[in-house]
Amino acid sequence: MSLSAYVPILALFALATAFTLFSVGISQIVGPKRYNRAKLEAYECGIEPSPEPVGGGRFPVKFYLTAMLFIIFDIEIIFLYPWAVTFADLGLFGFVEMLLFIGTVFIAYAYVWRRGGLDWD
Amino acid sequence: MSTVLAAAGVGAGEAWTFWILGPLAILAALGMVVARNAVHSALWLVLVMLCLGVFYVVQAGPFIGLAQIIVYTGAIMMLFLFVLMLVGRDASDSLIEVLRGQRLAAVALGLGFAGLVGAAFFRALDSRDAIGLAQANAEGNVQGIAASLFTRYVFAFEVTSALLIAAAIGAMILAHVERHKDQKFTQPDLMRARFAPGNYPGPKPGPGVYATSTSVATPGLLPDGRLSDRTISPILPKRELTEAESTPKATEGR
Amino acid sequence: MNGFTIATPAQVLAIDVRLPDLDYAAMAPMLVLFGAACLGVLVDAFAPRQSRHTIQFALSFIALTVALLAVIREARVGSRELTADVALAIDGPTLFLQGTLAVLGIVALLLVGERALEKGGPFVSQAAIPVGSEADRRQAREEGATEVFPLTLFALSGMMLFVAANDLLTMFVALEVFSLPLYLLCALARRRRLVSQEAALKYFLLGAFASAFFIFGMALLYGFAGTVSFGGIHDAALLATTSPLLLFTGLAMVAVGLLFKIAAVPFHVWTPDVYQGAPTSVTAFMAACTKVAAFGGLLRVLYVAFDRARWDIEPVIGTIAILTMLVGAILAVTQTDIKRLLAYSSIANAGYLLVGALAFSKEGLSSAMFYLAAYGFTVIAAFAVITLVRDDDGEATHLSRWAGLGREAPLVAGVFTFLMLAFAGIPLTSGFTSKFAVFGAALGVGEAWPVALVIVGVVTSMILAFPYLRVVVMMWLSEPAEQSPTVAIPGAFTSAALMVGVLATLLLGVFPSPVLDLADRAAEFIR
Repeated sequence: MSLSAYVPILALFALATAFTLFSVGISQIVGPKRYNRAKLEAYECGIEPSPEPVGGGRFPVKFYLTAMLFIIFDIEIIFLYPWAVTFADLGLFGFVEMLLFIGTVFIAYAYVWRRGGLDWD
Repeated sequence: MSTVLAAAGVGAGEAWTFWILGPLAILAALGMVVARNAVHSALWLVLVMLCLGVFYVVQAGPFIGLAQIIVYTGAIMMLFLFVLMLVGRDASDSLIEVLRGQRLAAVALGLGFAGLVGAAFFRALDSRDAIGLAQANAEGNVQGIAASLFTRYVFAFEVTSALLIAAAIGAMILAHVERHKDQKFTQPDLMRARFAPGNYPGPKPGPGVYATSTSVATPGLLPDGRLSDRTISPILPKRELTEAESTPKATEGR
Repeated sequence: MNGFTIATPAQVLAIDVRLPDLDYAAMAPMLVLFGAACLGVLVDAFAPRQSRHTIQFALSFIALTVALLAVIREARVGSRELTADVALAIDGPTLFLQGTLAVLGIVALLLVGERALEKGGPFVSQAAIPVGSEADRRQAREEGATEVFPLTLFALSGMMLFVAANDLLTMFVALEVFSLPLYLLCALARRRRLVSQEAALKYFLLGAFASAFFIFGMALLYGFAGTVSFGGIHDAALLATTSPLLLFTGLAMVAVGLLFKIAAVPFHVWTPDVYQGAPTSVTAFMAACTKVAAFGGLLRVLYVAFDRARWDIEPVIGTIAILTMLVGAILAVTQTDIKRLLAYSSIANAGYLLVGALAFSKEGLSSAMFYLAAYGFTVIAAFAVITLVRDDDGEATHLSRWAGLGREAPLVAGVFTFLMLAFAGIPLTSGFTSKFAVFGAALGVGEAWPVALVIVGVVTSMILAFPYLRVVVMMWLSEPAEQSPTVAIPGAFTSAALMVGVLATLLLGVFPSPVLDLADRAAEFIR
């Protein structure tokens, strides 16, 4: 059962959970509780917490564009991963292949950059 | 693989993982469909995807498992959430059926299809195990993928970049509005506008953040005790001061 | 369950990777289009706005011509080979269909590049500007987006790869490469943009769903055969000793993906909406080229990978073909919009093509390929005429608006009449010869299913003649409506496209033997 290879991950997961529970719990028990009115007020960087505007808080479409551009990188990474693992065996042709691929994908970024997709304002 | 599987049976760890995460995945999938709030649906979907990722890993596909977690739960879910925010997260589906009986028919057909595919799998894999796993994983899962991807499928791999380019173009033409030349301001333009007559070049006075209020929506007080509109951002709803806040505080000098 | 292990350095060294032989000459058409598309994106990024359209059009035109020449060169050499290991098959059908795609692509490109009919062309400048806003009114005067050219080239390179793909994985990538640009192109209409975007969304959602079916089926076929190459699946089916249920389930799902693209019933629902909503030049491109590519892929899957399962799949796909012909023909009768009418006609034509495909013979293959070429020219010309009939709101596609068009513009109405007759399958048009070839091939097999299909085909052809002839009668015999649309004077590009389409329809009807011979010589897959 080669799943045993994942035992360290499982252990880390358990450790993380335990740490979270511990720190939340211990601060509940040990932490001093001296409240006043200003402390009880919700504090969001000084912005008054106000009810959501009608229709829900909307995001500008720019966020979508950024997310989409990020996904392109992300998918590139998926190809880079097996490439990196076998880089030594692939030799020159593997290097050229990946260069071509990344070069082609960067055409997309050149386009986005020239069209102002990377400007935020 | 089939012989190994037959000899060893399903490993205990695999069985445990399956019986814990399988029901969880189904519950999460149901939760995604049933949840009224779109954001909750999306969060349920994250859980489904994570479960699937673990399933892939357990079924000897660590690469696809990690890809599932990195790309889907990471990037694609983020995109989902942004799209939800675009349409507004309070926007709920219209519950009026355009085609009468559509929902019922969809449920029936969906269940029928699932039953059909499930039965076909069961019968197909009852007498004969699926092949190809041992061969694909012979030299390690990721290595096997690399050995196919960069050799036989090299053209398909390179052409995938066309997909990524098309995706970028699509995002740009459907979501990006290029600004007109006359809407673009250079730094000198901005400076000239700032020091132009009639404009106050300095920063605006800050809001009235007092010891009793932490809100930037609290307007500042002018020396004569009036509230100043210039102290708060125009996009914030102006906050009415409570009695305690608006009464002048007693100080020692008085 | 020792399916995988953590790799040790020794194992890493153990894998044997070598670049397979790549026949660059055989791949040239795809490489040229792909490269030109990438260049086109760069042109869009760096060229000044006013010269973009000219550069893009010239670049696309040259790229398609070079690709066509590369196909012709390869055909003259007589290449019959598998390249890139076995991922690509360069054989007769590949070259014939790639050549067809290149020619139809050039004709469709003429429509896409036309700017004489409307200021700035048929495409919107910036689709993201909200419809009806002040900025939207301003952009009505602006030049249309030139991204359509690289997108068209990407789509065409994907289509060429699709007909050459010799395994399911390459085919899937090709499917996506030609679908994604098409989804985008659908959303870019200058007029009636919300309808256009709705069409794009529907096409995208259903297309993604169909792709999911395809990839699921691919996984099942891998589980059956241990490979995704068509030859490997064929061999596995031949050698299978146990239940081939996995094979059939996989085939069914892969077929869903392919039948969606060719718009066969019951996977056709997107077709009318998308054909209507998309810019008409894009509709022409889709109707001609997507059909060629999708059928090319379907033919290869059926003939190369599943010919052993022929007896099992014939009833299923035969039923789909019958449904496709019936639904397409009957619903075409009820349409009141000319673009929707042609969409349903395109569905019915998919049925006729399936009749040829299901003959499972050399004649079936060659007649289907001939049909694809002939239909492509006619349908592009028909949509070219639709771009000409306009009023203040753009194209007037409602059928009632076409009443009395024969008096307004006898030449255009005459051309359209000829095209409608070709669709109806009247002799001396390519519609007749291609239907004749397809039905003849099916009858030549002399079995029950093909004969039944031919009977349905003939009956539905007669039903389908009714809506076509109704349009003709309306144009010539009805009184013009009060506010009848005007027929725009076609620019050079549209005229050229129209001329090529009409001439091809006529020549393939009167003198079809050279192309029929060509298709016949090409009609042999390699495995």
